[in-house]
Amino acid sequence: MNTVAFAASATGFLAVMVAWGTYLATIPSGKVPARPVGWIILQLAGMATAVSAAVWSFRIGGSPGVAVIVPAVFAVMMGSTFFYFLSQRKTPIGKLRVKVGDTLPPFEVKTSDGPEFHTDSLAGKRTLLKFFRGGW
Amino acid sequence: MQADLDEHGVSLVALSKDTVEEAATHKTRDNLRLTLLSDPDLDVIRQYGVEHHKALGFKTGSFTLFGIPLALTPSFKTMAIPTTLLVDEDGVIQWIDQTDDYRLRSSEDRVLQAVKAAFT
Repeated sequence: MNTVAFAASATGFLAVMVAWGTYLATIPSGKVPARPVGWIILQLAGMATAVSAAVWSFRIGGSPGVAVIVPAVFAVMMGSTFFYFLSQRKTPIGKLRVKVGDTLPPFEVKTSDGPEFHTDSLAGKRTLLKFFRGGW
Repeated sequence: MQADLDEHGVSLVALSKDTVEEAATHKTRDNLRLTLLSDPDLDVIRQYGVEHHKALGFKTGSFTLFGIPLALTPSFKTMAIPTTLLVDEDGVIQWIDQTDDYRLRSSEDRVLQAVKAAFT
């Protein structure tokens, strides 16, 4: 097995995973960068390294072997997914049914603690109501 | 930001399509003090017109090595468009904020500015 090629391919894959991991880590604290330049560079570098290793290994001696191909394939898959997600970040503003000056449309739902919640309970109180995506 | 909101007497309520269990986990995991509302059937989300039909999420179950996902499969789910409404004590909406990049939270500064503008 071409050790150098394997090391390069594995490193490329690792770079992609580190980029993903550190990027996802910004989500819980709400500090996702608007333009994740560093992450983009790391993803591209990782993918390029892994693919180059596989191609080089193939060029110098036939089949690069599973050890080189597998990390390269995963690096490309994971890296591409990162860019795909980035390309889909724009939300369609949609058809918001309320506007400033409207009275809050009443509703009733369950809370995470169990009991029911009705918007009547907000009467006399100032409220910041946030709609968020939840788990995805 | 919680302290600033408290100063103006504003309570924080957040709603998503998460089930009660998912919301409870989220609250514990992120140590949240606000009230989390569960709208898994998307009734309220639709009522307010903040439904995002083909929002991008991902399935992690596909390939895992010791629980670490090796491949993230994109999948489309229906979720809420992140929207913030500031409501006064009479139930009148004073300010609305919608992001066009779902990864980014409503800027705290902008929210606080709106709170101050509405309630001072």
